[in-house]
Amino acid sequence: MTRIPEFGRFAEPALLILVSLSEGPKHGYAIMTDVEAGYGRPMGPGTLYAALARLEERGLIEALEPVDRRRPYRLTAVGATVLEEQLQDLAGFARLGLQRLRGSAG
Amino acid sequence: MTRVLIRLYPAGWRARYGDEFEALLEERPLGPFDVADIVLSAIDARIRPRGVAAAGDHSRGVLMTLRLGGIAAIVGGALWLVSLAGASVIQGADGQPWQALFVLALGALLVAMIGLSGDQGREQPRLVWAAVAIPIIGAAISAVGMLGMAIVGDAPFLFGASPWEVWVLGTIALIIGSGLFALASLRGGRVSRVGAILLMIGAVAALPLLFGVAYSNGPGDAGSILAILGIFAFAGGWVWLGIGAIRTDRAAGITSREAIP
Repeated sequence: MTRIPEFGRFAEPALLILVSLSEGPKHGYAIMTDVEAGYGRPMGPGTLYAALARLEERGLIEALEPVDRRRPYRLTAVGATVLEEQLQDLAGFARLGLQRLRGSAG
Repeated sequence: MTRVLIRLYPAGWRARYGDEFEALLEERPLGPFDVADIVLSAIDARIRPRGVAAAGDHSRGVLMTLRLGGIAAIVGGALWLVSLAGASVIQGADGQPWQALFVLALGALLVAMIGLSGDQGREQPRLVWAAVAIPIIGAAISAVGMLGMAIVGDAPFLFGASPWEVWVLGTIALIIGSGLFALASLRGGRVSRVGAILLMIGAVAALPLLFGVAYSNGPGDAGSILAILGIFAFAGGWVWLGIGAIRTDRAAGITSREAIP
């Protein structure tokens, strides 16, 4: 199973793209604006396509037919599974961190 | 601007993502962050090509590196010989033109090592990294030596050593690195074996002369003759490797052209 951390410096953008696509297919510009709106940090076009290429290569997303040169992408079943596992890992890590933080404060 | 930025990506990448990427870039004005982001990502795409379209790009990239490495090997080998011969036979006012030529040879041979080591670097990473890193350190030492010659002449310069001795240390590093590179080439078997053997012989034989040059009690007549032959073998080995690499590049170019219907 592909792990998102294997994407190196594109791991975080890849995760953000998967989250964005989890609500439905989007083309590059829509992903970029959605990520920027939801995450509050800009995602450069080069980073976006570097991460998209890696996600597509690993079969986590797939390209649909282009509309006016804008090609939408959607999450694959494998991509959805990987995303869910990754988010559960992060949720577990966040819980552990919060417990320790509250324990040290109390 | 948009077209120029897209041209930074490899052809395989452009064929797959070019249109939609161009459409994306036309959606909003590009800021400096976007341009820097695209340049870095294009470098990433060139370093790590992927997918079916990337396979052709990868082999083209290796061949281009081979050609550049081959040219650098020929130039470096020739400059090495000319600079040493010039410094020995035609004594200039202060010898510095020959030293400068020698440093150019050093730089060309570093480019040659990096260019010719493409596949070897993946198969024998430690050996090839050592073969390249040792001369790079040597080049830095050599540059310090040359700077010392310009500032203090022959006076003791660094840890009691004269600038000349410091400079020769850099040369010794180049020869040791070349010997390691010849070993990696022989083991890899992807470049000319004759060139690699010549380079190995040259590296082993030239060292005594350099130690003799650096320190007053030289290697003696027989040792000097052997070392001079070694210098020729060293230069000849690099030139031979360079010619072999260019021939490989041309042969591959002809094959790929023939493959196009």
